[in-house]
Amino acid sequence: MSHLSTHPRRTGLIGAACLLLLALAYGIGGSTITYAFASDPLGPRVFPVILAIALAVLCIFYARTPGDAEEFPRGLTMVRIMAIPVTLIVFCLLMETIGFPIMVFCIVTIISALFGASFVLSAIGGVIQAALWWFIFSYLLEVYLPVGSLFG
Amino acid sequence: MNLDYLWSGFAVALSAQNLLIGLIGAFIGTMVGALPAIGPINGIALLLPIAYTMGLPPESTMILLAAVYCGAEYGGRISSILLNVPGDAGAVMTAMDGNPMARQGRAGEALMLSGIASFAGGMIGATGLALFAPLLASIAIGFGPAEYFVLMVFAFATLGSMVGSAPAKTLIGCVLGLMLATVGLDATSGAYRFTFNEPELGDGIEFVVLVIGLFSISEALLILENQTKGHTVIREMGRMLARWSDIVKITGATLRGSIIGFVVGVLPGTGASVSSSVSYTTEKRISNSHDTFGKGDVRGLAAPESANNATACGAFVPMLTLGVPGSGTTAVMLGALMLYNIQPGPMLIAERPEIVGGLIASLFIGNILLLVLNLPLVNIFARILTLPNWILVPGILTLSVVGVYSTHSSIFSVILMLGIGMVGWLLRKGGFDMAPIILGFVLGRVMEVNLRNALAISGGDIGILFQSKISLILWAMAIGIAFVPVLLARRAKKRRIAAEQVEQSA
Repeated sequence: MSHLSTHPRRTGLIGAACLLLLALAYGIGGSTITYAFASDPLGPRVFPVILAIALAVLCIFYARTPGDAEEFPRGLTMVRIMAIPVTLIVFCLLMETIGFPIMVFCIVTIISALFGASFVLSAIGGVIQAALWWFIFSYLLEVYLPVGSLFG
Repeated sequence: MNLDYLWSGFAVALSAQNLLIGLIGAFIGTMVGALPAIGPINGIALLLPIAYTMGLPPESTMILLAAVYCGAEYGGRISSILLNVPGDAGAVMTAMDGNPMARQGRAGEALMLSGIASFAGGMIGATGLALFAPLLASIAIGFGPAEYFVLMVFAFATLGSMVGSAPAKTLIGCVLGLMLATVGLDATSGAYRFTFNEPELGDGIEFVVLVIGLFSISEALLILENQTKGHTVIREMGRMLARWSDIVKITGATLRGSIIGFVVGVLPGTGASVSSSVSYTTEKRISNSHDTFGKGDVRGLAAPESANNATACGAFVPMLTLGVPGSGTTAVMLGALMLYNIQPGPMLIAERPEIVGGLIASLFIGNILLLVLNLPLVNIFARILTLPNWILVPGILTLSVVGVYSTHSSIFSVILMLGIGMVGWLLRKGGFDMAPIILGFVLGRVMEVNLRNALAISGGDIGILFQSKISLILWAMAIGIAFVPVLLARRAKKRRIAAEQVEQSA
């Protein structure tokens, strides 16, 4: 990752290569769509194939003139950044089990700490936000939010 | 010109409920705009599921979102002036002269003058919208599927030519959005496309999932990365009332900025970031005789501020009458209308006057509310700038998760949103703009359906796309807008090289 950072051109080449692969996969996927009938001359395949070709052509221009790109983070910063989606995914998957309030408490506490707040402040923030969002969504907006199978 | 729809719109917008919604939206919008962490699209994306869950009627939702949009254009100036960090993309140029004024101890004056310029821009923009929307709608009634398809090509050409540093990247964003729109059931053939046998993808990727993932989640990751870069808030406001001589001095700049802003807003896809920079450079060319621009010139402050507010109104013209959004934020609002199964187009004014009229009337009322809110309460809004990220970002993330969950009651949607957010972060690091993806996504289905309908009419003959006068004009405009800037840049480069050669030989 760190090598990507210093050269927008290299970022452009890698980005263009990834997008080219996407165009290829999408084009193949699009051209092999199965359908029983089509009420128009184009059918469901042609538009995706046109898009795949357009993306592939644009990738060439992108690789030639990559424009601006930011540096990719390294080391601890990268770990901290990745910790956000990992925290969110883990606790969202646990939502039905641990319930919405505890999920919010955990997410807010961990992410506040990632942003440099002390543990106590993070936990207080977690309690307040869990109560606030529960009140707004469950009481005011009457949205069903799981209490958690752990608590019956 | 028949403006009946507007008068009935005032009746809608002036109802107690909608007035309150407009006021709340204006307040939230100013806060959203002031916070450098969240721009108008984020604010609207996060509010959209709440409005939808509350069961608000479409016109009230539009009034709420429009108030947030305009409020954000007002609020963006606060952090530009006091922090030298634009609160949103449209306020980048406001910092050029606004922050130097604040450093000279004239922050209060800068905030008031920019507030007045914002108000003028908003009112001129709303007037333009009220007059031009029916006009464009009456022209667009003659559009068939072929013309609509070419119109969308024109929209993408405009976007590629005017937005971002690299046109190829902007257009790649559009194509990615179009590709995402093809996911799900194809209504005409009954085929499932790119669903990977996942039943939850059968209806396609939900708009709220995409927009919250792309904007809010990726933004949170960027904030964490950049949080070490500290900025100082200027607290010394100086006198709060602007001088009368300065108000007179900005009149010309404000009028020019408003007109430029409105015209740029009407062009499909180009938002406030384009209009504010065009108006600033134009004003600099006209008025910078004493080299005062960039050092706290009030005209350099007023021009972009009036432009970005006029753009916000102008961007509604193509969105309401053609179904083609004039900016990234109106693309999200188009998506919001689609949530209500409303497809904007030339018939919308006739069929749903309460939505179009109510929205336009709310822009007039909203601008007055915003001026009233912004002049006395600017100190309170300025204090929001000191809200620490460790409170703000977890709040945004929780709201994102619960917003998506409340709309779809599905963990799959939440996980998909997080995945899209990570891809969005990668793309933003690579210098890609997110607005073209949203624009591609909201136009994707309509573009494909119109292409297929056009070819069904012609029996597969592609010539139908070049048959009518309207199509040919749109093709010519698309080609012109895509290639003229390239040719002009080449010519300028050649001249520069020639001038350098002459200098060297001399």
